Amino acid sequence: MAIVQNATVPELTAAGALPEAPSRSLGRAVRRYGPIAIGAVLALAMIVMAAGAPLIAPLSPSAQFGDAVLKGPGAVERHALGTDEFGRDILSRIIWGARVSLQVGLASVIFGFALGVPLGIVAGVQGGWIETGVMRCADMLMAFPTLLLALIIVTALGGSLPNEILAIGVALTPNFVRLSRSLALTIREQDYIVAARALGSGQLRVMARHVFPNALYALVVVATLYIATAIRTEAGLSFLGLGIPPPTPSWGNILSEGRQYIKCCPWITTFSGLAIMLAVLAFNLVGDALRDLLDPRLRGE
Amino acid sequence: MLQYVLRRILVAVPMLLGAMSIVFFAMRVLPGDPCVAMMGDQATTEALADCTKNLGLNRPLAVQYVDYLWRSVRFDFGSSFRQGYPVSEYIARMFPHTLVLVTASAIVAALVGIPIGIVSALKRRSPLIDYPLRIFALLGLSMPVFWLGILLLIVFSLRLDLFPLIGGGDLDGAIHMIRTGEVFTNPGDFLAAVGDVLHHLTLPAVALGFTLAATVSRLSRSAMLEVISQDYIRTARAKGQGERTVVYKHALRNMMVPLLTIIGLFVAIALTGTVLTETVFTRPGLGKMLVDAIGARDYPLAQGAITVFTMIIIAVNLGVDMLYAVVDPRVTYR
Repeated sequence: MAIVQNATVPELTAAGALPEAPSRSLGRAVRRYGPIAIGAVLALAMIVMAAGAPLIAPLSPSAQFGDAVLKGPGAVERHALGTDEFGRDILSRIIWGARVSLQVGLASVIFGFALGVPLGIVAGVQGGWIETGVMRCADMLMAFPTLLLALIIVTALGGSLPNEILAIGVALTPNFVRLSRSLALTIREQDYIVAARALGSGQLRVMARHVFPNALYALVVVATLYIATAIRTEAGLSFLGLGIPPPTPSWGNILSEGRQYIKCCPWITTFSGLAIMLAVLAFNLVGDALRDLLDPRLRGE
Repeated sequence: MLQYVLRRILVAVPMLLGAMSIVFFAMRVLPGDPCVAMMGDQATTEALADCTKNLGLNRPLAVQYVDYLWRSVRFDFGSSFRQGYPVSEYIARMFPHTLVLVTASAIVAALVGIPIGIVSALKRRSPLIDYPLRIFALLGLSMPVFWLGILLLIVFSLRLDLFPLIGGGDLDGAIHMIRTGEVFTNPGDFLAAVGDVLHHLTLPAVALGFTLAATVSRLSRSAMLEVISQDYIRTARAKGQGERTVVYKHALRNMMVPLLTIIGLFVAIALTGTVLTETVFTRPGLGKMLVDAIGARDYPLAQGAITVFTMIIIAVNLGVDMLYAVVDPRVTYR
């Protein structure tokens, strides 16, 4: 849980730190900050849902109601989104499933960030054989698409929450290495780096105090987008049956189990898939809006 | 040029080698014994030992590794533990199905994604056009392909009964007819087979194509924005050329260069997409083969599938790099 709470910080401060829009142009403000507001609210809602699952979920996710097997949404008043083949409440399972998706989404991005960014900055600033070595390794991992690499790792280690985090985190790492290296390459040529060096800063100090803070904003923007990727990848792994094994609910395994019943009971797959889409959408919206603010050239204004 | 090509190939070799090593060692630490997976818990100790010996799993790891690399160089991925066929034969049979799916969804993605991206970039100042298009792109990007696939199945296969639920159609039959020349002697049957393939292909191609269209539309939007902010576009406008001429003659052509470089990325995404798409639609193909092989602990089959996936991606990226140099004369070979 601590992981979830910590990881909300960058995205919230970024959203909260936006300057006030001029009141004379309400339309423009809505256009400009609408997407990020929707995304932030949606993302926050998902996080609250995950953190407060025991309080929010109307029923236990594992309770089996023998009198309500495969009932449609609202058919039994107790089950707003219907039940599955064991008579378990879909709504409660989806609310609990948010935990898996968000924990994996946030923790794997933090993992990839913490591993990839230092490597990338060292490679970019230091250059030489260190750069060659780090980048060759990154290129090698980049030859695999994210899902494929995560699939290989999680197959080898077995499906569990820490293994999924590790697998997706490692799969995301080369992206962070590449980005932070290219940022470091630009930053190291700046005058303030020369100034810092002239003042006697060592290599490590330059990296930690000057290069890293200047690369941070761009890195956080991209990290937000990778949360979306991580959530989608986790859902894909669970859907393939390689994620958290049932009965622990995750959106992917609810959807995967519901596949057998699409003929009679399409609500199982429909609602669990909708949850995946909304969560991915939320982080995509926030990341996109942050990126537009970062790179005004691509903005439509 | 030749030197550049050779150099790129030399760089690709260690990449492939590394990727294959990752696959090999990942497959070896797998929990679960392939012999137990094949013969069940009831098998006797002798039978299991026999099976392990037959599959060559009793040799030292290093020997197995070198053997695997040496055979892979010759496209010999060993035999499937379960079916006993050579893996390469298996891959050759599955590859056309995946190729057809990737091609069809690439067509869907290009037809939907490129126009949307261009219009969205050109009309970026009119929110009534740009916004719905961007929302569409965002939805496509956020929608998992397996969910979209299931929704399509629910509506078009189960409710409306327009498309089949499972299978890939009679692709093998169609290919066989081309091989034997039966296409000419019996065109009716051939067309029927092709029709069957397309019938099975429609929903998967739409599902995968739509999710890819989102990526394509964004990339073409930013490619167009990039081009339209260039000096030569301003010059063209300053000359007094109409907007239509500016877009068609100057912008579109230059946009294709940055768009070309994403083909590599596109193939990687599409291949990953096939793993999920083929599973949802229960279609034969490399992706489904990989998932099934992992489930059955069929090392050689899974290894072969992943190796082929990686080879395709590395080869495509290599090709794109070279194509890029051909299309854009400003790129120099170093």
